[in-house]
Amino acid sequence: MSTTNVAVDLALRMEAVRKVYRVGDSEIVALDHADLTVAPGEIVALVGPSGSGKTTLCSIAGGILSATSGRVVVGGTDISDFSSKELTAFRQSTVGFVFQSVNLVPFLTARENLLVVDELGRRTGSAARKRADAILGELGIADRANNLPSQLSGGQRQRVAIGRALMNEPRLVLFDEPTSALDTKLGEQVMTVIRNEMKNRGIAAIVVTHDERNTRYCDRTVHIVDGRLEGTSSH
Amino acid sequence: MFLALKEMKRSKVRFLLLMVAVALLVFLILFQQGISSALIRDFTGAIENQTAPVLVYSVDGQRVLQASVMTPELEAEVASVPGIAASGRLGVGTFTVTADGERVDATIIGYEQPELGAPSRLVAGRLPSARYEVVATEEDRSKGFDIGDTVTVEPGGRALTVVGLARQSQLNVVPTLFTAYNTYVDAVAARNPDARTPLPNVLALTPEAGLTPEVLAERINAVDLNLDALTRQQAADKTPGVSQVKQSFAVIFLLYGLVVPLVTGLFFLIVTFQKANSLTLLRAIGAPSSRLVRSLLVQVAIVLVGGLGIGILCDVAISQGQVGSLTLEFNPGAVVFWAVLLFVLGIISSLVAARRVLAIDPIAATTGAGVGR
Ligand SMILES: Nc1ncnc2c1ncn2[C@@H]1O[C@H](COP(=O)(O)OP(=O)(O)O)[C@@H](O)[C@H]1O
Ligand SMILES: [Mg+2]
Repeated sequence: MSTTNVAVDLALRMEAVRKVYRVGDSEIVALDHADLTVAPGEIVALVGPSGSGKTTLCSIAGGILSATSGRVVVGGTDISDFSSKELTAFRQSTVGFVFQSVNLVPFLTARENLLVVDELGRRTGSAARKRADAILGELGIADRANNLPSQLSGGQRQRVAIGRALMNEPRLVLFDEPTSALDTKLGEQVMTVIRNEMKNRGIAAIVVTHDERNTRYCDRTVHIVDGRLEGTSSH
Repeated sequence: MFLALKEMKRSKVRFLLLMVAVALLVFLILFQQGISSALIRDFTGAIENQTAPVLVYSVDGQRVLQASVMTPELEAEVASVPGIAASGRLGVGTFTVTADGERVDATIIGYEQPELGAPSRLVAGRLPSARYEVVATEEDRSKGFDIGDTVTVEPGGRALTVVGLARQSQLNVVPTLFTAYNTYVDAVAARNPDARTPLPNVLALTPEAGLTPEVLAERINAVDLNLDALTRQQAADKTPGVSQVKQSFAVIFLLYGLVVPLVTGLFFLIVTFQKANSLTLLRAIGAPSSRLVRSLLVQVAIVLVGGLGIGILCDVAISQGQVGSLTLEFNPGAVVFWAVLLFVLGIISSLVAARRVLAIDPIAATTGAGVGR
């Protein structure tokens, strides 16, 4: 296999990515010389202290944020120089997100929170409805499909968020501290769901976590300190 | 559509309330518009809905039919102006009459020829053909002014017989009787036997073919500063008080008209702030901002169309009836005007909220904090 082919096949390739936030006159280097590759179907744990740049890395990998410099290639698409319009379309079609805080639209039911993904892109209609029902079933919340987020428990909400992230058949899903709001037991359940879903579908993922215990659900752990990626350990 | 409709479905009450508020304002505007035009119509309908295209007043009359006096000299001056096809006298006076056993004020308008001052909106019966016959105003038919009724001029007891009814032809919001000029002169004499034959109040003219009423009026006004020639519509609009009433109502309408976009604009701005988290989330998972703006505009359009629809329906319902002595009339022109204006203003007002939507930075979704500022 040639190098190019390998690169194309990768779910994520970040090369020398640097992100500088400008706050007034001062500059905060949130990410520096970040090199990271994620293979298709691979689940990478991203572990680091608060403020180390984990969310920044995910945002850049998912096309929400543009890097100050460096290259970002997701599923063979180089998004480094994408305009914000192109990034929007890219997010819609290629990546899945589970955010740290707000993940669901409160006036949409669980099922509609999944279907909205289809509404944002080129609509597939009944295919999307079938897919949403299948995902809700796999996640064990089919009986909650018509509940509003306010009628769901924390664990159920997180499952809906995971389902939403899977709706567009993404190349890469970014989980930003998916268990931080849950107790240990629920956190383990959610990590199990994440692992199963990713592995069944062969989708790559980055799971940001504080909790070292969560890393055992992942294939590999990457540490980040002060915006620099350190030591990779495989499981 | 999906997002717009789902949200409205889940927050029915607030969107319905807004719709009702818009409907109420629309109804108030149309209702007051109806009242104001009914008021003005009953004030000057006799001028607007009569046959003569040009009316010549004396300047001293200040455009009030009863106050204007046409001396023989002024009459002769008018007659000398080229371009007049026909000319006739009008006599106008306010009388006390007994109708249906009650004494009421009424206006009597005497004209010499049917095409020079007779009512143009005859809806029942016929024009007077014999002496002491009159056409009365339709609005007053139930008050002893119906066809076949006899109305008596007081004092003097001159009896007049109603032979026809005219619509929207009152003068000064009282029952108005159209009759032959000599019957009018008789009525004046009956009331006051010692008075001399009254002078005509105004002259009614038709221009020769090829000449517009405006041009004829200008020609007459150029002859003598004491002559005040006006077209039919000008004469109605320039009756003292009419433009003041119109202006006062216009100010009221303007205020109402501004409240509608203000209310919708503010409502959608607040709603947009309240759901900023959701909008940010949607932007982050790949919703183009144009999609979210479209969804907002769909909601605004639904609320406006719903509010306008309900408001117009209420107006249609109330336009069938009477308010006090005023007969309201459904006015499609006004409805279309206000519907279009309020819809456009409502949409424009929501652009403030649309700007907020466009300003949303999806990055805020990753922190969860700092959304909606
Ligand atoms: N929008 C921003 N503006 C300025 N500084 C920011 C912004 N977002 C993050 N930072 C800073 O960048 C650094 C990394 O932040 P972040 O990626 O959120 O870390 P983590 O997710 O690991 O807690 C922190 O010092 C943070 O204060
Ligand atoms: Mg973070």
